[in-house]
Amino acid sequence: MVEISSDVIRGYNDTMILYILQKAPSYGYEISKQIKQLSDGKYIIKETTLYSAFTRMEKNGYIESFTAAPEADGGGKRRTYYRITASGQQYYKEKCEEWNLTKEVVEHFISVEA
Amino acid sequence: METIKKYLETMFANLPRTPEVIKAKDELWQMMEDKYNELIAEGRSENEAVGIVISEFGNLDELAETLGLEQAVEESHELMELEPRRQLCMDEVRDFLHAQMARGSMMGIGVLFCITCSIWVILLSDTILEMIGVLLMLIQIALAVGMFVFAANRHAKWSYIYKEPCSIDFATAEYVASEKERYSLGLKGQRTIGILLCATCWLPAALFDSIGLTKLNIMDNIVAVMLLLMVGVGVFFIVNSAIVRASFEKILKINNEKTMGSQFVDAQKVLYENPRLNNLMSVYWPTITCIYLSWSFLTFNWGSSWLIWPIAGIAHSVIKKNLGCTKQA
Repeated sequence: MVEISSDVIRGYNDTMILYILQKAPSYGYEISKQIKQLSDGKYIIKETTLYSAFTRMEKNGYIESFTAAPEADGGGKRRTYYRITASGQQYYKEKCEEWNLTKEVVEHFISVEA
Repeated sequence: METIKKYLETMFANLPRTPEVIKAKDELWQMMEDKYNELIAEGRSENEAVGIVISEFGNLDELAETLGLEQAVEESHELMELEPRRQLCMDEVRDFLHAQMARGSMMGIGVLFCITCSIWVILLSDTILEMIGVLLMLIQIALAVGMFVFAANRHAKWSYIYKEPCSIDFATAEYVASEKERYSLGLKGQRTIGILLCATCWLPAALFDSIGLTKLNIMDNIVAVMLLLMVGVGVFFIVNSAIVRASFEKILKINNEKTMGSQFVDAQKVLYENPRLNNLMSVYWPTITCIYLSWSFLTFNWGSSWLIWPIAGIAHSVIKKNLGCTKQA
């Protein structure tokens, strides 16, 4: 069975996280769960990868963190939530364009059908 | 859940204790806990859930890059190679603690025997058994010396804990901390009783004197014997509790204090901003004790000299509150 090489996907972890945060602020486990669901369970992001991405993007000003308790199960435990910033939105757009270009280029060289 | 906690603690044990690392550990723990709870809620078995959480954790080298810890991680790898810390296992540590408890009582009894060795001579003086008194005294001193030698011999086996750099894992540190907690009340009690016995050793003499019993020669001797016994037993408690306490501290401080593995070291230790004050405060209580003892013995004003303790206590907390800053855990 083919697995995703972590070298290839690395450049797009940020894109996935920003895509989810674009819809609503979220926290660590929730984000990793959504990544798993949206990829039909084909990509499971490691906890350390996720946390690294958070710290890196926060440093770059793409996301902001805040603490809050989840509304769903009111009074639940407090977690660190992340929300996307304006420059994060901009970065996300650039990453999408970059991917479209990458995909277009690489696509020309793929001859074996899945 | 315990397994996951231990796994995480072990992964972080050699990283430096910085706010970033502590935050990273808390965040990762949050995610792992969430994932574990959800897996259990989905009906997975405990083992399965633990397996999944750990296999999907990732690795710390990746974290190191973003936390600016590449150097620290590399250093900790290097340190492990250059100066490998001897890993103490839980059984070894348990044996060590038990051995230290035995050593504590042995040293305590040795000192007790030394202090009280002359009671035989005092009790049997001016009788036909005077020579037997001297003999008993010598036997008691010999026993005490024997105990010191025996205790020192047995203790030599553990010298590597004091000389070589060692380390313990999280489970062991947790075990020692809980043992320390369990014994803490008993040890404090022993020390308090010890100090009380020493501080009040003059009471029988004063009591007998006030009811006029000291006119009898034999009562003088009995008073002296009681004084020696009280001091002896008091010192036994002080020595025993000090040795046992020190052994707990020794193990808990065994990990490199700059790393996350050292989390059980006194978080409450008060540091003063002024380094000179810091030095001064480290001899605060011994100084008070000296003043108390010299004042009391010079003036024999035991009735009021104890007042120095409450005064010193209040002064200490005032200084601590105003000038001290608690060390960040």
